[in-house]
Amino acid sequence: MKHGFLDQYSDLDSLIHRLDPRTKAITTLAFILALVLTPPTRWYAFALYFALIALVVLLSRLPPLYVLKRSLVVVPFVLVIAIFIPFFKQGEVAGSYNIWLWQVNVTYSGLIVLWNVTIKAWLSVMSMIVLSSTTKFSELLKGLERLRLPLVMVMILSFMYRYMFVVVDEALRMKRARDSRNFGGKHIWQLKTVGNMIGALFLRSYERGERVYAAMVARGFDGNPRTLSHLRFQMLDLYFTACFLTSLAMIGTTILLGWGA
Amino acid sequence: MHIPDGFLNIATVGTTYAVSAGGVGYGLRKARSKLMEKQVPMMGIMAAFIFAAQMLNFPIIGGTSGHLIGAALAAILLGPGSAVLIMACILIAQCLIFQDGGLLALGANVLNMGIIASFAGYYLYLGTTRILGEERRGRLFGGFIAAWGSVFLASIACAIELAVSGTVPIRVALPAMAGWHALIGIGEGAITVAVLSFVMATRSDLLELRKV
Repeated sequence: MKHGFLDQYSDLDSLIHRLDPRTKAITTLAFILALVLTPPTRWYAFALYFALIALVVLLSRLPPLYVLKRSLVVVPFVLVIAIFIPFFKQGEVAGSYNIWLWQVNVTYSGLIVLWNVTIKAWLSVMSMIVLSSTTKFSELLKGLERLRLPLVMVMILSFMYRYMFVVVDEALRMKRARDSRNFGGKHIWQLKTVGNMIGALFLRSYERGERVYAAMVARGFDGNPRTLSHLRFQMLDLYFTACFLTSLAMIGTTILLGWGA
Repeated sequence: MHIPDGFLNIATVGTTYAVSAGGVGYGLRKARSKLMEKQVPMMGIMAAFIFAAQMLNFPIIGGTSGHLIGAALAAILLGPGSAVLIMACILIAQCLIFQDGGLLALGANVLNMGIIASFAGYYLYLGTTRILGEERRGRLFGGFIAAWGSVFLASIACAIELAVSGTVPIRVALPAMAGWHALIGIGEGAITVAVLSFVMATRSDLLELRKV
């Protein structure tokens, strides 16, 4: 599997990398929450949010271009769902065009909704990228466990993360074998081949699961994972949380006071 | 169908998180009472399997391609409670690792593709096999109905959430989402049938597993 991009920059050393995963998870959640609650017409507020996230990216020493490139992940959903909103939302007409037989109206309220979802989706995805590229997934899971995500879920997630690479590798090997024998897989009559591949993948994964469990029992597994946990809040966490939440509160205050509206 | 952040308003976020927490809690209770520790590694690997299966694209009409959601398949093979847990873990990992779907939208995504798709898939399969019998024909037909129905209902739930949030008007969102996913659901159904018939031919005992 080409999984070099996973956890790619989580080994760097920076202020953000040294934060406790819980601190990062909570501040990210606070950021996205503030973002979603912001009314779409407070243009300058989004500039401030962008400045805040850009500052965090700079502090984290992640390559800014990498963050920008990864943030394009929101584009497909925005294109498929949001791009049509200005044409269907009813309201004051901003522009009217004749395209062949249709008359198309673009409304202001529709444009505002488009701006609203695009900017919010983009900024929140940037904050998620910072969270996931400055934290190893295993550390993040430990943090989530301390934040009371049920233990069974944490265990399923950590097994999934371990075996994802194995199973995905297996799937890509099958795909390569099929493509080299079948002129690729893009024809409708090849649906059954894909079905057989997934069936074979299921059997192999199931049998692997049984083997893994047997091996774990042989080594004394009793259903409770034991890990060395070294998560500890430091002064750094306190300072970062205080600064970050203060910035969010300041942006929030300017919105409540109605500046620039 | 992975909704990013920003598309849902805060009321929808709160509601979907509460419903999803309830559904996942139900899955956890079922798993705890019936499975014990044995199934935890297995469920992790099954989650990795569904994740990998989602990467294999299949062709749909007109040169476009779609990919499996897999909730109905997981529910048929392992039972609805396990399927909810597996799908929830996949969606959490996709959100945290790949930024596929937002953090605040996670509740809605788990509700659509985890809870609604798993339970709809399981009970549609159960209902169809009751009517048509537990023979090969009944099971394959049940698999198709279950997979198609799970995708279709999940897309309707997704459209309703987007509409309630004021993002897309319902008269546009509902026909567009439901119509497009009625088509994608045919692919999901065909793949699920092929997988079930492969499993029946090779390890039919796995279809008799205790469902949780």
